[in-house]
Amino acid sequence: MRHSSAFLLPSPPPAGGGPAADVALVVLNQPLPRFAPLLWSRAALRVCADGGANRVFDGMPELLPDQDPDEVRARYKPDVIKGDMDSVRPEVKEYYSNMGTRIVDDSHDQDTTDLHKCITFVVKNSDNSNLCILVLGAVGGRFDHEMGNINVLHMFPNINIVLLSDACLIFLLPRTHAHEIHIERSIEGPHCGLIPIGMPSTSTTTTGLRWNLDNTSMNYGGLISTSNIVEEDKVTVTSESDLIWTVSLQK
Amino acid sequence: MHSSSFLLPKPHQPANKPIKNYALVVLNQHLPRFIPRLWAHANLRICADGGANRIFDEMFQMTNDEDEKSTRNRYVPEIIEGDMDSIRPEVKLFYYSQGSKISDKSHNQETTDLHKCISRIHQRTPAHEKSNLCVLVTGALGGRFDHEAANINVLYLFSDMRIVLLSDDCLIRLLPKTHRHELYIESSVEGPHCGLFPVGAPSTSTTTTGLKWNLSGSKMRFGSMISTSNIVQSEKVTVQSDADLLWTISLRNLT
Repeated sequence: MRHSSAFLLPSPPPAGGGPAADVALVVLNQPLPRFAPLLWSRAALRVCADGGANRVFDGMPELLPDQDPDEVRARYKPDVIKGDMDSVRPEVKEYYSNMGTRIVDDSHDQDTTDLHKCITFVVKNSDNSNLCILVLGAVGGRFDHEMGNINVLHMFPNINIVLLSDACLIFLLPRTHAHEIHIERSIEGPHCGLIPIGMPSTSTTTTGLRWNLDNTSMNYGGLISTSNIVEEDKVTVTSESDLIWTVSLQK
Repeated sequence: MHSSSFLLPKPHQPANKPIKNYALVVLNQHLPRFIPRLWAHANLRICADGGANRIFDEMFQMTNDEDEKSTRNRYVPEIIEGDMDSIRPEVKLFYYSQGSKISDKSHNQETTDLHKCISRIHQRTPAHEKSNLCVLVTGALGGRFDHEAANINVLYLFSDMRIVLLSDDCLIRLLPKTHRHELYIESSVEGPHCGLFPVGAPSTSTTTTGLKWNLSGSKMRFGSMISTSNIVQSEKVTVQSDADLLWTISLRNLT
């Protein structure tokens, strides 16, 4: 399984770098990271989960202070606002609804998290087999939300989902595949980690890191790979257990 | 038995509970707004490297003090510990001149700053006092995810100690599988949102009382069901499990 963060590059990746991913963006209810406008421009589908719409309404003009706020809001208009609607401000919902944003009210479904609902929605509304779902606002804040969002990665191991914050990005490396992670050195690294969340890992092998693992076992209560360093443009990982990969993002 | 009385505004001794000895460890992230009350409860305050910058720069905003100088003179950590690559030289000099012990561990790059601090506390606390000691940690969550994961692993590595990770939004504790746990909820400062997570390994049987959605011999596993967005409904929550669990509860807007 090949992973690349080319979506974070300031200009679109050159042609011939592999099939273009169909990028969808999901915005959860936390402050936007500084690169939110860049990711928005890369995405074919933009979904705000409930209060994520407040964050786009307030936050995009703040991230682009040289531009007229109304123009910014028109340009960064979500395609969909989805959720139980208990966080989105009524005036924000109305503003975007008037501009054509689709409002999908889930208030009847209290069994799954906002992110879970959005992932299901994006998958149903995308026909590209090379789908990459970028999620803003999934980490930090309330820890139970963060754990629920990481659990969504585990529940959809066959879908390429990346959680992003100002500090780092996170995605799942399912045990079913050998992984090649292409590092965009201008934006990612050098700090990285491999974390066995939910299950000990009896054997992990890596290349491309300063402290590579060689059939090494990892578990909470023992060794987990943190504060590692990316040393090459390509990192490989194989493991008998699902792992969470994280790499820092440069300022 | 667990209680968050350290979050109450003044030292509070609930009836029938042993007196708790608190230590505070400050890591290098923005201070939570309720840090003055944690400082007041603690007998020992340790800044991990750049955590000293945070106290120096940010404590004043969290207090009602007249001026920065009096805040700085009042909030002096007993120990500054770590590899000293983040603390600013003038901050180190200031606290050294105020009597802080500077413990330079720059030769040890194998463990995180939190690990070094907890290890130090662990070494100097006699076995019989460990259950009476509670280590409060600020700045362990958020920021780089690998740091957060390593800080959570410290809870597992020192599971014979009570360690609480705190942020503005919530707190986290480890509930080891070896005990049945009673959590006394201070509803003026914490709740109602809570959760239980089998981060290290799945649970085949967890039972709780006091929650809106209690578990009853329930299985929990990443990739399947974990308890998030639960609600505390009682002053006392009990948890018993065959797996180590992380407990989290939201914090109310404390100032």
